[in-house]
Amino acid sequence: MVKSFPWRIVALIIGGIFIYAGVLKAMDPVGFANDIDNYKILPWTIGVRLAFYLPWLEILCGLAVILGLLYRGGLLILTALVSIFIAASVISKVRGLDITCGCFGHASKYLSFFGHLLLDLAIFAGLIGLSISNRAQQSQL
Amino acid sequence: MKVSAVRQALLLIALALVPAIGEAIYFRNKVSWQSPIPASELVTAEQAQSWGDNVIWVDARPSEEFDRDHIPGAISLNEDRWNELLPQFLGQWSPERTVVVYCSAQSCNASREVAKRLRDEAQLKNVFVLDGGWEGWLKLNR
Repeated sequence: MVKSFPWRIVALIIGGIFIYAGVLKAMDPVGFANDIDNYKILPWTIGVRLAFYLPWLEILCGLAVILGLLYRGGLLILTALVSIFIAASVISKVRGLDITCGCFGHASKYLSFFGHLLLDLAIFAGLIGLSISNRAQQSQL
Repeated sequence: MKVSAVRQALLLIALALVPAIGEAIYFRNKVSWQSPIPASELVTAEQAQSWGDNVIWVDARPSEEFDRDHIPGAISLNEDRWNELLPQFLGQWSPERTVVVYCSAQSCNASREVAKRLRDEAQLKNVFVLDGGWEGWLKLNR
């Protein structure tokens, strides 16, 4: 876990965002399943099962980043998840699908595509920063 | 002992399965696991046509597509112009009639969303989604 105060704040914010997003989606798994289905990338039978699983993975990884337990694993998973969200959003936009991301449940349906993309890129940058900071700290020990 | 990031990730992946499976068990009867629309809410074009004049066809596609072509007698009702189009639909609806909503194809979501709003907001019963959508109806009728 990073010890420097600014990076601790970043970890708190990013972990908090994923816990918030995960809780919103866990409360409405069917709504999230519909959002996944809207991307037209996965068949419904897989998407609906992911809709039950992904929110809990986000919540646990958010907690991992905040509490510093299984920290590097949490960072790894969250970085992979955000990368996938960004890729899926861009692919859908290119295909002309006008969809809501579903990243923050239906609370985010009013965010535009570019609003979502900016938010996701900012989170991605924060996660990369945390990873680099953690590695630098590990190499000093 | 340092545990690698990958091992930590695998542990988190495994741990997340526990509440996920618990929630899936809780929702097992409330979710359609095989298709986005429960079978009980889908109707084929043949079935719907057999109901004759008792059916109100609702076209959930954008207005330009409706204007180009639609099922004869269908009413346009889409999410973009919901407030504007709903009164016209309600003017033609009566409790004895069955509502069948369609959009362009099996894969589009508009019909599902409009059907859901009619059930939840307008409190209508007997609302179905057309299996295969407009493309399915065209295959059968033209």
